[in-house]
Amino acid sequence: MKPTVLVLGSGPIRIGQGIEFDYSCVHCIWALQELGYRAIIVNNNPETVSTDFDTGDGLYFEPVTLDDVMDVIAHENPIGVVVQFGGQTAINLAQGLHDRDVKILGTSESAIAAAEDRDLFERFMTKLGLPKPEGRAVRSLAQAEGVAGEIGYPVLVRPSFVLGGRAMEIVYDLDHLRAFYAEAEDANPGQPVLIDKYMLGKEAEVDVISDGVDTLVPGIMEHIERAGVHSGDSMAAYPAVTLSEAVQAQMVVAACRIARELGVKGLMNIQFVVEDDVAYVLEVNPRASRTVPYLSKVTGVPMVDLATRCMMGEKLRDLGYESGLWVLTGGPNPPAGPSHTPRAAGRILPEQAFVAGPVALPKPVVYAVKAPVFSFQKLRKVEPRLGPEMKSTGEILGIDNTYVAALYKALVASHIQFRGEGYVLMTVRDDDKPTGVAIARELVRNGKRLAATGGTHRALADARITAHRVNKIREGNPNLLDLILQGEVSLMINTPGTDRVAELEAAHIRRACIETGVPCVTSIDTAEAIAQAMELYADPSRAQVLRLQEYFTA
Amino acid sequence: MIGSGPIVIGQAAEFDYAGTQACKSLKEEGHEVVLINSNPATIMTDWNVADALYIEPLTPEFCERVIARERPDAVLPTLGGQTGLNLATELADRGVLETYGVRLLGTPLSAIRKAEDREEFRDLMRQIKEPVPESWIIESEAQLEAVLEVVPYPCIIRPAYTLGGTGGGIANTREELWETGRKGLKLSMRSQLMVERSLLGWKEVEYEVMRDSAGNCITVCNMENLDPMGVHTGDSIVVAPSQTLSDIEYHMLRTASLKIIQALGIEGGCNVQLAVNPDSFDYYVIEVNPRVSRSSALASKATGYPIARVAAKIAVGRTLDQIDNQVTGTTKACFEPALDYCVVKIPRWPFDKFATGDRNLFTQMKATGEVMAIDRTFESALMKAIRGLEVRSKDLRHPKTQAFTDEELRHAIGKPTDERLWALVEGLRRGWGVDEVNRLSRVDRWFLRKLAKLLAVEERLLAARTGSSEAVDALVSEAFLIGFPSVSIGALLGIDDDRLDPGFRAAAKGAIEAQKVLPVFKMVDTCAGEFESATPYYYGTFEDEDDAFAVASS
Repeated sequence: MKPTVLVLGSGPIRIGQGIEFDYSCVHCIWALQELGYRAIIVNNNPETVSTDFDTGDGLYFEPVTLDDVMDVIAHENPIGVVVQFGGQTAINLAQGLHDRDVKILGTSESAIAAAEDRDLFERFMTKLGLPKPEGRAVRSLAQAEGVAGEIGYPVLVRPSFVLGGRAMEIVYDLDHLRAFYAEAEDANPGQPVLIDKYMLGKEAEVDVISDGVDTLVPGIMEHIERAGVHSGDSMAAYPAVTLSEAVQAQMVVAACRIARELGVKGLMNIQFVVEDDVAYVLEVNPRASRTVPYLSKVTGVPMVDLATRCMMGEKLRDLGYESGLWVLTGGPNPPAGPSHTPRAAGRILPEQAFVAGPVALPKPVVYAVKAPVFSFQKLRKVEPRLGPEMKSTGEILGIDNTYVAALYKALVASHIQFRGEGYVLMTVRDDDKPTGVAIARELVRNGKRLAATGGTHRALADARITAHRVNKIREGNPNLLDLILQGEVSLMINTPGTDRVAELEAAHIRRACIETGVPCVTSIDTAEAIAQAMELYADPSRAQVLRLQEYFTA
Repeated sequence: MIGSGPIVIGQAAEFDYAGTQACKSLKEEGHEVVLINSNPATIMTDWNVADALYIEPLTPEFCERVIARERPDAVLPTLGGQTGLNLATELADRGVLETYGVRLLGTPLSAIRKAEDREEFRDLMRQIKEPVPESWIIESEAQLEAVLEVVPYPCIIRPAYTLGGTGGGIANTREELWETGRKGLKLSMRSQLMVERSLLGWKEVEYEVMRDSAGNCITVCNMENLDPMGVHTGDSIVVAPSQTLSDIEYHMLRTASLKIIQALGIEGGCNVQLAVNPDSFDYYVIEVNPRVSRSSALASKATGYPIARVAAKIAVGRTLDQIDNQVTGTTKACFEPALDYCVVKIPRWPFDKFATGDRNLFTQMKATGEVMAIDRTFESALMKAIRGLEVRSKDLRHPKTQAFTDEELRHAIGKPTDERLWALVEGLRRGWGVDEVNRLSRVDRWFLRKLAKLLAVEERLLAARTGSSEAVDALVSEAFLIGFPSVSIGALLGIDDDRLDPGFRAAAKGAIEAQKVLPVFKMVDTCAGEFESATPYYYGTFEDEDDAFAVASS
């Protein structure tokens, strides 16, 4: 009889924990079967492939709770349990299973705890000498006030051990902290609240595979929206578009060191924020993240298969890989080989080279842009502005051989399309006005008509850009709301400020957009992406349509 | 194959499950599959699920370019949710399918239109003498006045084209209809509203039916919504098979469903929703989904019958008697599944993340996902489903509803929200009785009696800590058997409550360990054990005979 391995599923789909984890669980099962194990799963989500009766060698349709999982374990006596693909649902059971003498396969429960426990993580990062935003875990409002005062506002306040950025907020002053603290504490009672210096930089992330010694970085993803928008709600580009080679080198080196030091066996996700060409580590998650399926497909690296092999004791070196950054080289796709071999032509730039400093990166073969998709239309009274708390329910991918074409596809596939010939309505906060003007210029150059409210209108006029001036709601009729309701707006660009009165009005406008089907963009960076993609909006035939594999051979 | 694109509320992972099955099924039949889907997080967009994979935006333009490039023989429109169906319809309308000589497989478009167009559907139902609820389109006050005497009360008023569906409501009298209707006309941007017979409080039942091109029909299963009419079925707690229908009602509705699928000429799967008067044999046909849907994913997992796989084979010309039932391996797809267990589905809503969102449930779906649980009784399946939701309440206790005033509670019982299940329990907990809670909620007494039965165990566990003389051992054993997990039993007995007598707490802890019974695992075999079956799809229950061991040892 084959040895049995139990894979824990990710439970119901919710914001922050979507179908991506089902993808990873299913691939883990397939990889285990290929390795000669009997792969069984516990999951309770009827919508998924992982609960298809012929996906694994055994399907236990049971709640993913400690009690229920222990019952299955007693029945099946598996050689171990896989927790790193089932999202927070599965990871949260790691400690309890370990306490009951169940073997956690791959990355150990103590490594998981070290990454999730703030104090341990702090010590760990100091030991490795890696930069991270200043911050600490606190257990009371008094402590929070102390820490925030010490490191200086704005600070990012969030609960620990929670996926998807629930109850996370950028806090600008003491009053704000006092008002918000209870919510963060309440989101995961009994666990500390994290207070970090908020850095407004570019965000980037990597998903890596490690066998505990060697670490493969399949690719670096750069977020289009700056820090402050939850990574799940950001557009993300692969490979990095604006990050310097020096910063990318820092990320590769940091990822390899963290994985080695934690003894990661399997997958790990690291989030960075970049300021002044330094990559600060924001978060380390020693498990599969929501970007794994997308990154696997656009890099050709079978990430879950490799991670599962590492978890079961194989070594990356024996599988034809080494420590470093995988880059696509173009050219014919490799012939179909065993499941762990890459599906696209590429090579590894070794870790050692990055340790020495920046490494020249080859010209990208493909660009892939992931964009979030929201369900605001279905949810009344939910505020569509983006922030540190995740709000999207799904995602799409745009892929092409040029960045702008990939960007265009991502925007269009996520329903950011000009609706008719009406105005592009702009109302942006002061900080965003310089970028807003540049965006406006690009829109006008491509034949779009603009409308803007007071301040934005003035900024545009100063730059000699013609725009129709509309009233804010409190300035009387007709105002921008009328314009939207009359169907005369094709796209809304509204970046929220901090003025509470103005924000109440803006929130109302954003809801009106949602309910009348006008695309509404709330981050200036997303708006900039639209401006960049204007030539494609004008002539979509400039985007290619190819089979996925064909993009790699260009 | 056209996929369903990003996950949004109302269109989630079920279409990855359906699409993946369909791809496999079509390949089994010797066809080459070209897939277009923009969602990278899915299994169906893996390297080797389809023969040719396009990760491109799901717009008619991009689809046309894929068709022009691949020149497929046919398009299968009914497995990619509403997105896939709408796209296929649009491609047909634009003449794209004709230009490239592409056939539409499965249910003909004319049948889809008949099911989806309100007027055509009503005409067809009248022809086959199936009742549909009466309704009136009103476009002026004069028209409104004219129907005051005609409509049956209570009636529902739905203004068309209003922000957030505001302005609708229920009218119990002609005065109320006049008042609400006039307001609705003003609120509607097109001065249009619909008045229809109110079926609020009626039972809502669904039948999953299959039909092939030869006209063979079967019902895969039926499902009953615990929440009566008025809540979107995606937001309802659903039980399979139905629990409160008499045999006469069951067959009356089954016959109606088969008659409808036959009259529509569906080739594949289809979902029929019906409303049944709890006090008579009256029923109405509410809606037909002429395609694979979320309900069919649930029905597949609830019965083991792979609806999407069979639907794909029917689409390429197979008939039900030619398709193997893979679960048993010995029977054909024309056998109607039999269930020897009870399935409970509970939706998972996003209000933990959207604290300000409107939690009221009505006809617009709000859940992002769902959990399903299987057991031999409704009680234990319900308990499994609750603890699998990963919300704060792991059982029947719910601090928020328990803190309600009587007035608030009455409201919470009558008005469906994501928390209503616990409100029903709390009404019973306050001794209001099954009849009163039924009067307020219209939830069938059968379900309420089951809740009362669970609640009685909860109350005895709570009473045990204050020194009731009942033997704790027997009580704990009873609690396990009806479906309470050990954490809930422990919490109710107060084993961590240091105000209680340490001796009692030790005894309670001991009882939980001693009385803990390991479940046996039963097989979901589509035929309630009538035929030999070898598919390893299991659920746990507290009985004697273990199907899983039987399979392993054979």
